[in-house]
Amino acid sequence: MTALSEANLDLWRDLEGGDVLRICLTCGSCVSDCPASEADPPLLIRTLLRMVELGLEDNLLEEDTPWSCVTCSRCEEVCPMDVRPFEICLALRRWQCRNDSTRIPLSTTEIYQRGYTQPVDRVEELRRSVGLSGKLPVITADPELLAKFQAMLMEIDVIRDHDFMFKG
Amino acid sequence: MPRLGIDLVDLEGYVCCPAFGTFPSLDEDAHLAVSAWNLSLGEDKGVDLLVECGSCYSSLRLGRALLARDEGRRERVNVLLAKAGKHYEGKAKPRHIIDVLYHEVGVDRIRESLESTLAGTHAALQHPCHTLYPSEVVGFEESPAAPRVLGELVRALGADVREYSREHHCCGGAGGFRHSSHAEAYRYTRKKLDAIRNETDADYIVVSCITCLMHLDEAQKELSGNNGDRPIPVFDYSQLLALCMGFSPGEVAAISTVSRDRVTERFAAV
Ligand code: SF4
Ligand code: SF4
Repeated sequence: MTALSEANLDLWRDLEGGDVLRICLTCGSCVSDCPASEADPPLLIRTLLRMVELGLEDNLLEEDTPWSCVTCSRCEEVCPMDVRPFEICLALRRWQCRNDSTRIPLSTTEIYQRGYTQPVDRVEELRRSVGLSGKLPVITADPELLAKFQAMLMEIDVIRDHDFMFKG
Repeated sequence: MPRLGIDLVDLEGYVCCPAFGTFPSLDEDAHLAVSAWNLSLGEDKGVDLLVECGSCYSSLRLGRALLARDEGRRERVNVLLAKAGKHYEGKAKPRHIIDVLYHEVGVDRIRESLESTLAGTHAALQHPCHTLYPSEVVGFEESPAAPRVLGELVRALGADVREYSREHHCCGGAGGFRHSSHAEAYRYTRKKLDAIRNETDADYIVVSCITCLMHLDEAQKELSGNNGDRPIPVFDYSQLLALCMGFSPGEVAAISTVSRDRVTERFAAV
């Protein structure tokens, strides 16, 4: 538990979109219809926003709940103050990744390596069986383009700093 | 789609949309560079992007909105894209398939294209969250609280639409919920399926999102176990449309575990 005297009151500055947190009314509308509020432990998006506002860094680094979000954006629709809680939930995940590399989603390394997380090539047979062309013109069909895509992503700090994960 | 007056072109060099659990959860510039990569493929060909999957649609729309909101982001992304000889201006719009079917093709043209209908059958709807919220970014309904487009399209095929209490809830299948809290996520989905079973006589569920389709389908297998719940086949709208337009059930690819034979047999006969 972080003592409030040790809290990082500038934490909101590290989160994209964090400046709007100060206008949050703490009304709770964002949680009221959130599917992931039924998760265990529950995703309580309003509480997470308050924790950012209060600068409770250590607690937030440990929080797994931002990753339970179903990305439905109901919270954004109902928020009376346009705080965009879902966007902040994503910003919170990014902040966690910057501070704890074990949080980096493995799916990003898959996209780096083959453009997709889904095994797109496995649908080729199904496509052929229903009379569609088997090969999809996705990025792996063009190795030169894939290399350019990878070079582009390597320009990004968090990817370059963990290039061993991405290059596989 | 060509029979409905929409020409389709494949985009070359497409990558993952990016799904929200990938780059959008890692780094904002990486997120937007990948969004802009895909959007620029449409832009270069002078076309909009047609999307069925709810989260691909929502991710592309959010990427586009974030880039439109802030010039600094656009500049940073274009510096990154330039490394691959690409450029982004924001001309191509991602459009969801039911938006295009309703607002561009229109229910009259759909009705005229049908060789058979779903008359006499009852449908329950699953509106994909990602096409409703936030309405400012993804919306194409007059009222996101009372979506009408999917229902109108289903009625155009001759089916009766049955309303139920949890119609506007999420399917429970997207994002991390199902992974972090398996039992809770399936309990959540069960409430929806139970509402459909107990409150309606629906013969099938109509979705317009691959995640809703796969989740509502698989969840029935997972949940029914030994308690003999009435199984309800799940269809994507475009599958039902294709069936009514005369495509054979075999061609309308079978991504499902719940048997759809009760519904598709009427098409085999014609
Ligand atoms: S709905 Fe908006 S204003 Fe209300 S608690 Fe959530 S973020 Fe704050
Ligand atoms: S976007 Fe995430 S936090 Fe917001 S309501 Fe949906 S699941 Fe909850």
